[in-house]
Amino acid sequence: MDLDDDSPPTDAAAALRLIQDQQSETARRLDPDARLLYWPWGVAWLVGFGLFFLQFTPGDRALVHLPGWLPLTVLFVLLAAAGATQAVVSVRAYGQVVGDSAQRGKWYGYAWALGSVSAYAGLGRVSEHLPHDQAALLWSATAVGLTGALHMAGGAVWLDRDLFRLGVWISVINLVGAFAGAGWHPLIVAVAGGGGMLVAGVLARRRQRQRQQP
Amino acid sequence: MTELDPVIHAQARLRVVASLSTLNVGDKIAFPRLQELLAMTAGNLSVHLRKLEDAGYVEISKTHRGRTPATLVGLSRRGRLAFEEYTEAIRALLDPSPSKEQP
Repeated sequence: MDLDDDSPPTDAAAALRLIQDQQSETARRLDPDARLLYWPWGVAWLVGFGLFFLQFTPGDRALVHLPGWLPLTVLFVLLAAAGATQAVVSVRAYGQVVGDSAQRGKWYGYAWALGSVSAYAGLGRVSEHLPHDQAALLWSATAVGLTGALHMAGGAVWLDRDLFRLGVWISVINLVGAFAGAGWHPLIVAVAGGGGMLVAGVLARRRQRQRQQP
Repeated sequence: MTELDPVIHAQARLRVVASLSTLNVGDKIAFPRLQELLAMTAGNLSVHLRKLEDAGYVEISKTHRGRTPATLVGLSRRGRLAFEEYTEAIRALLDPSPSKEQP
């Protein structure tokens, strides 16, 4: 290819094919697999909040007897693993692309970090005065609410319909869970929230595939 | 028949421009990554980038990422326009119907 690559494509059809192949190939390699961005979070919510529900079932009768530290530890470990996966996948895909997109990504990341710290600082000071189940509801409803809002904001930043819809979905189920009350909230977040993320990953991947068709 | 832009109408440069066109407006890509995406040698890619730069189609900037120097490559507005016009001309050649609108 290097020898005669200064020569024009043989005809118009070859030129168009060359353009389409090159564009889809580049898009495929610069876009990380959407499933790797959505599914780890979905699994973390499904398993983490699921264990939380099993341990602190409404009515004080635990469905399964687990060590007290287990649900929260599992949730945090899975969330950290999801964050690490996202970081590695993103750097591998976009790490060598700089400019406006990188700036958006960076500021969006700051919004997550600073937003979480500022929201949780207040909770930390209040929750110790609340009964255990109410404190748990306050923490998880705030975390899930922030997640929903930031997903919607992310959808607005990148005009990403799937991300925006997922944010709406998370916000709505958080609302439902908050009204259902302590005890039920983790179940709703685990099944509808975690499940919603898994479904969003499938949909985003399908959209991505369509975009990458030559 | 429309004259096809001779700067873009060469296989290697067409691949370079098509690749760069998938970046969002305002983005640039590091030279080694572009080289890897195109599977070209550094020397060969440099030659074609220089021709594209001379035509005002790509913008090349040298910067530092940490301590290592980095060369960033992106399509200029003029280059993006030229690529769009080229693609349109190619499509018109393939489908010479009077309607310009493509579905």
